[in-house]
Amino acid sequence: MDRNKLYPWYFTSGALIIFFLLCFLPGIIGILYSFTDWNNFTDQINFIGIKNYLEVFQGKPEYRMYIWNTVVFTTITTIMKTIVGLILALLLTQKVIKLKNFHRMIIFSPQVMSYLVVGLVFKSMLHPQTGFLNGFLNSIGLDFLAMNWLTDLKWVFPTVMSVDTWKGMGYIMVVIIAGLMSISPDYYEAANIDGANFWEKFRLITLPLLKPIIINVTILNVTYGFRVFDMIYSLTNGGPGNATGVINTAVYKEFSKGNYAMGTTLSSILFFVLLFLLYFIIKSMENKEVEM
Amino acid sequence: MRKRLIKLLSALCVTVMAGGVLVGCTGNSSSTSNDSKSSSGEKVTLTFGSHQSGLPTSGVVQELAKQFETETGIKIDFQISPDAQWRDLLKVKLDSGEAPDIFCADADPLNLVTRVNPEKYVLDVSKEEWVKRMDPNVIPSISYKDKVYGITFPGKKMYFYIYNKEIFQKLGLKVPTTYEEFKNVCQKIKDSGVTPIFEGTQNGWHQVLPLFETGAMYQQKHPDLYNKLNKNEIDLDSVPKLGTIISQLKEFATLGFYGDSYLSNSVENAKEAMAKEKAAMFISEAAWRNEVKGDFPDFDTNKLGIFVMPWGDNQAIGVNPASNAYFINKNGKHSAEALKFFEFLAKPENLKKRLDGQPGLSEICWPEIQSKYSKEDQAYIDSMQKGMVMQAGVKYIDSQWMDIGKDLEAMYTGSSTPQDVLKTIMNRRTEQAKLQKDPDWNK
Repeated sequence: MDRNKLYPWYFTSGALIIFFLLCFLPGIIGILYSFTDWNNFTDQINFIGIKNYLEVFQGKPEYRMYIWNTVVFTTITTIMKTIVGLILALLLTQKVIKLKNFHRMIIFSPQVMSYLVVGLVFKSMLHPQTGFLNGFLNSIGLDFLAMNWLTDLKWVFPTVMSVDTWKGMGYIMVVIIAGLMSISPDYYEAANIDGANFWEKFRLITLPLLKPIIINVTILNVTYGFRVFDMIYSLTNGGPGNATGVINTAVYKEFSKGNYAMGTTLSSILFFVLLFLLYFIIKSMENKEVEM
Repeated sequence: MRKRLIKLLSALCVTVMAGGVLVGCTGNSSSTSNDSKSSSGEKVTLTFGSHQSGLPTSGVVQELAKQFETETGIKIDFQISPDAQWRDLLKVKLDSGEAPDIFCADADPLNLVTRVNPEKYVLDVSKEEWVKRMDPNVIPSISYKDKVYGITFPGKKMYFYIYNKEIFQKLGLKVPTTYEEFKNVCQKIKDSGVTPIFEGTQNGWHQVLPLFETGAMYQQKHPDLYNKLNKNEIDLDSVPKLGTIISQLKEFATLGFYGDSYLSNSVENAKEAMAKEKAAMFISEAAWRNEVKGDFPDFDTNKLGIFVMPWGDNQAIGVNPASNAYFINKNGKHSAEALKFFEFLAKPENLKKRLDGQPGLSEICWPEIQSKYSKEDQAYIDSMQKGMVMQAGVKYIDSQWMDIGKDLEAMYTGSSTPQDVLKTIMNRRTEQAKLQKDPDWNK
């Protein structure tokens, strides 16, 4: 290796300084603040150890519920988005379907809409009396299916997760389509000669070759799911009561109460959980690459 | 030599680039105004942030702003947020230095500091001429440590049940004065196919009114109650009627007196429900009837009467001297222009315009302008006992108002009990007091 051909180290210094000052440092300071009693009402900041963390895990049960809700939301939306995205991608790569790009565009379009807009539109569509959904169900004689979608404890969380899946599935579909296109048709031809049916081809060719894509999609969905805020804020504002509150709505609530330290504690917990999960997801991806 | 020059140049470029980005990031973020030509006094655009209930729905403030623009050339850009989000949003905006030039906030003598932290964020207007013309009773609501920080217009607030007299007459009902009577009245109305009470929990605040607007009754039963609560000598569980009222609210929801979709309804829909006679009662201020008239001119608002909330057998009117007020962002670029707008709003002719242009308002807190209570209302109000509402007299209640709204929502859906609600309110008071290092809580 010709060392003179390498760019000198300080070429990266600009990016490093910016990254350090704007991303790394605030992150570390944020985590440090979670060990203090930093709040809006006094300029004095005192070190209080892990009291805030104890409060989250042993104090008010609300906090644990927010963490549990976040985990449930992430798990279910990740599974639903991946399955629905995969099914749509498989459908929209079949030869029999006409106007494929048009369909893809329609299904992808919710992705470009703002979360707030989607939230507000669905809020009005799901109103039990004046909303479109119940109106439609009533008009076709399915009154018994008309629910209080956003205020009934049984339905509110599934509803929020469905709306989120509706918005996010198009993006996942597009990513998986790109993966499907990159699989060589030779495999399928050979399988056809061997007399494989659709299910066998899917299980033995498509799925194994899509694995890296699905892992990437999972990382995207998991990181999004844990950080979810806008969708829940605009649809239910964490309600009814605190039934749909997640970590980030709680962080927002704590900041607005002026209890900054608790806000940073909750976001630090989110950060550590994400770091932990991502480490294992990426680790499993690396193994796959080695095998190949 | 050339190599060294290139090295030097590239190092310089990197530094300049990094510096440039940082300078870009550290620009004065507190300014949210759209126009930079402020120094010449021309083409300034002031941003005005408010919640829905902060600005009259009739648009009178916007009209006055247009007039102000014609006179001075200063434009006002209104940014309106939903009620349920404004308190949190405003605080986050203030703390992050992104608050608008003028902002509206609910103001009362106890909570101004938690809501807008006036010393840090709000322009001191104590020396302005118009401050002396406001009703002295409202000054504590917009003051902190003897300095006045805002301007306010609405007069003292009193909430009643607005009821449809015709429906009552048809069913042979009398105005209820006790809880039992109230329950019977509601049952009969429900049996006739009309929703007895319109409730909308989506705004977050309306459902909380019965708990604390009845403060006058609590005081009658416990002398010196507010003082003792503020000194942490007793807590809210020493006010048994408060717990009773929370349980009564739950009972009403269970009995179906709020209708089926009260958890999805907004307060804004109340006018339609009352005008179309789908609902028979709604908690509001007396002058709200004029707003109904404005939106539904064919509906005869004389059909609507008022009575005191009979929760917990209450028969006293709760008076709230506090209301929303407008404040100037001290750290904004255009505080001088914003002050000019306040002067404009405080001119007697504009005050009159404001009262006339806001049908939902009975009086403004500027004694020079006469109130518009009807004779019948005035006689009813005069005949009842009055006292200060709890949120204006007891610390750490108003600051958790929206949270209590959510607690009640949780109670209605069955995920908590009335006892849980009371306990949560008490815990939150303690939490807030400790956070603010209140000496009475840290003895």
